[in-house]
Amino acid sequence: MKKFWRCYVCNDIHYGVKPPQVCPTCLAKNAYVEISSAEAERISGVTKTTMTRVEFRQAIKKFAEKNEFQVCSEKDKVEMLLDGVFANEQNQGLKYCPCRLSTKNFAEDLKIVCPCNFIIHETYKDKENGECWCGLFVRRMK
Amino acid sequence: MNKLIMFHARECPHCKVMMPLVDKLENEEKVKFEKLEVWHDEKNAELMRSYRSDIAPKCAGQLRTPTFFSPETKDVLCGEVPYEKLKDWAIKQR
Repeated sequence: MKKFWRCYVCNDIHYGVKPPQVCPTCLAKNAYVEISSAEAERISGVTKTTMTRVEFRQAIKKFAEKNEFQVCSEKDKVEMLLDGVFANEQNQGLKYCPCRLSTKNFAEDLKIVCPCNFIIHETYKDKENGECWCGLFVRRMK
Repeated sequence: MNKLIMFHARECPHCKVMMPLVDKLENEEKVKFEKLEVWHDEKNAELMRSYRSDIAPKCAGQLRTPTFFSPETKDVLCGEVPYEKLKDWAIKQR
């Protein structure tokens, strides 16, 4: 089961089964201690962030840069998908995929938060022109 | 003629592609789809969720849009497909 961990040096928060051996923020070794979800929420809540549509577009572009896929080059399609992603965030609380419906099981629905783990999906895996289900991410042409 | 449902989403590009094909099919064949938008209409969303056990196994375990569904036969066609495939599926439901 995933738990929350706090770096005792810099208060970096990690959510996972095991704590990182090296803190990616301050590089301290063996620095993580298990904490409660309430503590994690309190600590991470210190930094209030929002994400505009422009910032999300930049974030997914940066995310794709070092991967074998890219953001779709069809501007109108991307804009429609971003309309959906942001409508879902506003109405449902998270950036759910506009081309799949939530099940109302929160843990299950985390699988359809954009970007999802589309690498394993049949629409992408082993396909030369693979793309995520909604088409926001497409395999980069060689 | 069995009732056919098209579950779609307003901001789904695949649904946008399929919508005119559905219209064409309705004009050419004696079929009619009930078009239900699921991300902005909770009643429609709940209906789609109620068919999850029929739909998900045929759509990679998920509730994907567009999904074409026959409540009577429980048959499912999932995603953006060529016109002929949609037509064959719809005629099969008669």
